[in-house]
Amino acid sequence: MCTLGFLVNPVAGMGGAVGLKGTDGMVEAALSRGAVPRSPGRAKETISLLRSIDIHFLTCSGAMGEEILSEEGISGYEVVYRPESEQTGAPDTMAACRAFLERNADLILFCGGDGTARDIYSVVGDSLPMLGIPAGVKMYSAVFAITPGAAAGIVREGCIKGGRFLFRDAEVMDVDEEAYREGSLRTRLFGIAKSPYRPGLVQGTKQVFEDPDEERAKKDIARFIKEVMEGTPDILYILGPGSTTAAIADEIGIRKTLLGFDAVKGGTLVATDLNEEGLLSLLGGGTRARLVISIIGAQGSILGRGTQQVSPAVLQNIGRENIIVVATPHKLAVTPLVFLDSGDREFDEGFGDHISVVSGYRVAQRKRIGKAPGEGEFP
Amino acid sequence: MVCMHTKIPLDEDQMPKSWYNILPDLPSPLDPPLHPGTGKPLVPDDLTPIFPMELILQEMSSKRTIDIPPEVQEVLRLWRPSPLYRAHRLEKHLKTPAHIYYKYEGVSPPGSHKPNTAVPQAYYNMKAGIERIATETGAGQWGSALAFATQIFGLECTIYMVRSSYAQKPYRKSMMQVWGAECIPSPSTRTKSGSAVLQKDPETTGSLGIAISEAVEDAATHGNTNYSLGSVLNHVCLHQTVIGLECREQLASVDEYPDVVIGCVGGGSNFAGISFPFAGEKLKGTHKETEIIAVEPASCPTLTKGLFAYDYGDVAGLTPLLKMFTLGHDFVPPSIHAGGLRYHGDNPTISRLVYDGVMKAVAYHQSEVFDAAQTFARTEGIIVAPETSHAVRAAIDEALKCRKSGEKKTILFNCSGHGNFDMSAYDAFYAKQLVDYEYPEQLIRESLSRLPKIPGA
Repeated sequence: MCTLGFLVNPVAGMGGAVGLKGTDGMVEAALSRGAVPRSPGRAKETISLLRSIDIHFLTCSGAMGEEILSEEGISGYEVVYRPESEQTGAPDTMAACRAFLERNADLILFCGGDGTARDIYSVVGDSLPMLGIPAGVKMYSAVFAITPGAAAGIVREGCIKGGRFLFRDAEVMDVDEEAYREGSLRTRLFGIAKSPYRPGLVQGTKQVFEDPDEERAKKDIARFIKEVMEGTPDILYILGPGSTTAAIADEIGIRKTLLGFDAVKGGTLVATDLNEEGLLSLLGGGTRARLVISIIGAQGSILGRGTQQVSPAVLQNIGRENIIVVATPHKLAVTPLVFLDSGDREFDEGFGDHISVVSGYRVAQRKRIGKAPGEGEFP
Repeated sequence: MVCMHTKIPLDEDQMPKSWYNILPDLPSPLDPPLHPGTGKPLVPDDLTPIFPMELILQEMSSKRTIDIPPEVQEVLRLWRPSPLYRAHRLEKHLKTPAHIYYKYEGVSPPGSHKPNTAVPQAYYNMKAGIERIATETGAGQWGSALAFATQIFGLECTIYMVRSSYAQKPYRKSMMQVWGAECIPSPSTRTKSGSAVLQKDPETTGSLGIAISEAVEDAATHGNTNYSLGSVLNHVCLHQTVIGLECREQLASVDEYPDVVIGCVGGGSNFAGISFPFAGEKLKGTHKETEIIAVEPASCPTLTKGLFAYDYGDVAGLTPLLKMFTLGHDFVPPSIHAGGLRYHGDNPTISRLVYDGVMKAVAYHQSEVFDAAQTFARTEGIIVAPETSHAVRAAIDEALKCRKSGEKKTILFNCSGHGNFDMSAYDAFYAKQLVDYEYPEQLIRESLSRLPKIPGA
């Protein structure tokens, strides 16, 4: 039987409908503008599809979970956390997650947005997988199912298989809500969580295209890029954030910062966690360099989301032809389009309609480049 | 005379009685195949552990024509001569002034051009007293063809099928079983070379290069067993020339000669089959202007992005070294649906003719070729194999060029097989799940130092 930590952020998504672009710290303002809770309905939609599955739910009292399970006729649950106040917040989410960890849950199924994902990740990191029922204003993170129904589908499949979920790395993005409300989108890669994944295959057809193992796919990419680096020892390689580039560092045998930009030359780590200034100083004097960067977040961003260090000036120094984009087949399968929003439109447009993404050992995929999304165009 | 017929048949008694060997018509001899151990040019005896002498002599023959044994002709008559079609409906759909013809090889029992060589290979092995044949198969077309041919001549057959195709195309495996062959997913633990690959990478999708290593090893280590290859080698391409020879007669019967000849290329046999008789005339100067186009997948672009160099035909380095276009014998192409085109090398004669500019090569992505295959199915009715869809794409593109230029070219392509067992590939196309794989050429060149070093080559 699967043990699921189930938690609902009752206020998630409330700010969106009343134009607040997020609900962090804005619950009262949202309520005063007439906002109604959105996440309970979304959570119910998922839970209603899980009634027939043998699941042991660990949950929180009241609106944070128990009410929904009970209303949907689920009896196999246990309340492991009781918030002190009716108005719940980040500390409650975090406390519930600590309880889920202690009780050895297989997965946290949560209903919320990016803020909720961030709060959960800050407690569990990648030690406990998470899956989001989308209900927030902003969902830039890759831990969310596409719809509440899809979330139920993923949980059903994994639980029917006795808890054997297919996992992938999923970025948790940190969006500065205050800046966002003022019209500027600032995102930062907050961390890389573990999230269950269900390849979107047509039912009834079996296609063995890609390795089901995300780790192996990363190793294949890493092995190839290592060979490229060995063949070009005079080139300085800047490795961007993420676990795919971290796998490259592992393959070379260097220690990379997971979320930063690090520089490697001739198999040796030259600098770590570089900011724009550091990058520009390394690139001065006609140094030939390449940027190895992965796709960040659920929406397929390559430049411009969580990669502010790589400014237009840095990119001009590196050159478009020296950017190597890497991503696992799993990530590419759920990323129909990729986006470039480096801050230099001419530079971005120079890539044309497609970009080649290294997806395995000596293999690349051609991905279509979408128009860079403007404010409010994200899902 | 303007051809208004849709089918241009050929009587059974007009079926070719001999194959066409292009080698004597080449301006200079091919670079010789080299022994993998000594690096010296091969002599016939080097190949006797795995091939019957008759096929070895054909491989190295300088005779322009080689007779097709009556026993082989009798079997070929089950489906040959195959029909040539004028694609009126496709032409109309494309609004092109071009005349599009396609030779349909899907009428053979296994559904592709492959039995054209499987039958003679099984026959010559039977005559040499061989009891079993080991081979490899990519998409399953070659494996099913050899299964069909060996049971006709009373031989056993062991087929190493590339693992990704084994899972993708279960009915090909069933066909082999119906015709009495044993089909094993490759890499397997049955051979040393397969075990070595599995040890290094237990989850590998396999490749033709790996499966060839296994089949060659099986043949070389069993006295009663020979090896059989479905493409790449000269004698295989020789047997396939019945396709082009028939086309020449069929087109002549409607007063046509192709301006453009097109075929898809994995190892090169179906392309050689349709193009060599026309390439021979081009080389002899009787039809200098014929354009001959090899079509390959962008994910495995041997002729368009490979190196023209000596390389092994397999992953383990057991085969002779051939001078050909190659992506490196250890290149494992991505698992595209056109499994039969996942090969790192190409037939040496085709390679040479592309290198010399007698033929040219183009490459397409998966989604582009399936789009063309859909157009073809909706106009001409035939659902082609994923491999064949590459040729369809190029034929359509040539016809569209004619629409622009107003030229009334005659376009001939080899419709090498049906896709009735490849419907999962079409499902993927409609579900928008086809991945457009690419070959990162610059990066691979920087990383590549694995081609065998041949002194003086």
